[in-house]
Amino acid sequence: MAVDSSVKIPALDYEKEMKRWNEIYKILSEGDPKIEHSPRQMVWRKNKSVLWYYPAKDKKYSTPLFFVYSLLNKPYILDISPDTSVIAGLTKRGYDVYLLDWGSPGYEDADISFDSYILDYLEKGVKRALRHSGAEDISVVGYCLGGTIAAIFASITELPIKNLIVATVPIDYSVGVSPEKWLEGLQNGDISVDRLVDVYGTMPPPLVEAMFRTLAPINVSPYVSLMSRAHDSGYVDKWRRMDKWLNDTAPFAGAALKQMFNDLLKNNKLVKGEMVIGGKRVDLSNIDCSFFAVSSANDGLIAEGQSLPIMDLVSSEDKTYKVVEAGHVSLALSGLFAPIVDQWLASRSDKVEEHV
Amino acid sequence: MSKEKYDPYKGFRQLTGLWEKQMNSLLLSMSDNNEYIKLSNVGLQTHTRYLEMLKRNQEIMASFMNMPTKNDVKNVAKLTIQAEEKIDALEEQIWSLQDSFAAINKENMEFFGELVGITKQMKEELEKNVKELREAKKVKTDLQKLRKELSDLSELKAELQELRQELTEANHLKTELHELKQELDLYKMVENDEAKEKKELELAGATISK
Repeated sequence: MAVDSSVKIPALDYEKEMKRWNEIYKILSEGDPKIEHSPRQMVWRKNKSVLWYYPAKDKKYSTPLFFVYSLLNKPYILDISPDTSVIAGLTKRGYDVYLLDWGSPGYEDADISFDSYILDYLEKGVKRALRHSGAEDISVVGYCLGGTIAAIFASITELPIKNLIVATVPIDYSVGVSPEKWLEGLQNGDISVDRLVDVYGTMPPPLVEAMFRTLAPINVSPYVSLMSRAHDSGYVDKWRRMDKWLNDTAPFAGAALKQMFNDLLKNNKLVKGEMVIGGKRVDLSNIDCSFFAVSSANDGLIAEGQSLPIMDLVSSEDKTYKVVEAGHVSLALSGLFAPIVDQWLASRSDKVEEHV
Repeated sequence: MSKEKYDPYKGFRQLTGLWEKQMNSLLLSMSDNNEYIKLSNVGLQTHTRYLEMLKRNQEIMASFMNMPTKNDVKNVAKLTIQAEEKIDALEEQIWSLQDSFAAINKENMEFFGELVGITKQMKEELEKNVKELREAKKVKTDLQKLRKELSDLSELKAELQELRQELTEANHLKTELHELKQELDLYKMVENDEAKEKKELELAGATISK
């Protein structure tokens, strides 16, 4: 006989719980998810770096896109899944895309500095992309530290860059998300990583990851989020891909890391116009092509104040700044970056004749 | 029992999020001082010195054991990278050669194109000239014909002049004839008068002789 109770006890959804714990069991027992990349061809390989070409599905624009990703992480975040891939989003919109994957530097690559990365890898890669595409000019897109590298490259190169896009880019290192005293300590020499970098040569991924971890030492919320939404297989798939990427940090070449700490973080030379790459002074005012900067509003790694000064430093007449409601990683992870780039770039790219 | 489904994780997630945020802020604020930075630097340098010592000993041990170390492998790998860079440089030189060949070919093609154009133009000019020559010949023939006709005309003119002269002479002759005729008429008249006179004289003589 059923008794009506005034106390309402919510019932557990057993089906949902079964699904949740099945998914969690699968995550724990299975290996990392396999990341399938969009159709691509290798154009050029140098040392560990590879220049990939992602042909457009139905080519609408003759000006190709060249992606420069950060040195700290692997670039497959730009092509993480077929549904949310930034690269696939752009190839579907009619762009030929080139991506320079820096690769994972080994012990023998300790001497690779920003100079080498920019002049021996990036500039040569762009040259090859131009030759491969047969285009007269190219649009360069830099993401995160790749944006910094792309901006330095654009200011010293003679190659024809039609458009420059930078996203979540650190330019001004006098501000940041790290505690104030850390930055001060670094700037006045209370802490130095030079000797440590020399010993390691190339910084191994766990140490690079530890550098990031110092900004948020406790990091349990992603796992709690996974547990709370593990019944949703779509979310689990996305989470696993992101987790794989987050734990797949790239090693960092020693010379470049020292340059990043000393020239950028310590002396903020890029903003001051004192940085020298390959004997040339890096003057961001040399950038006069069409320029687009994107910042993410909820960025936990790059503060907006770090990106914003570039708008005054470049001399482009056609320049646009946009703040997007996204995080540092989710801008790429969600694929949101592709329509943002397309919206700005479509009118600034040469169209293929039959599409005119 | 309520029909609402109970999600025990929702609250847990929210609590964890808050706790994580607060704990991170606490840890960062605790470490946001010069003492912590200096202590970190001491830790970093100690770790570095330990690693340096370890590496040095490794090198010494490896050299005693006649074994290659990571540094030796690094040097060999660098040679490979250098070779790769040389191949890249060669590739770029081949590009410039290809480009210059392409440029020369283009120039040659343009030159040949110009030559073909000039030849065509010359051919056209030649055809035009031939046509003009043919016309000139025709004109010459016509001219010769005209000249002949002109000379015929001149002859005709001369003949006409001669005729005119002859006509003039004939006129003169006619005038003379007329004069002669007049003279003849005069003479005839005179003769008639004389005859008449003679007759009259004869008539008159007869009368007298009678």
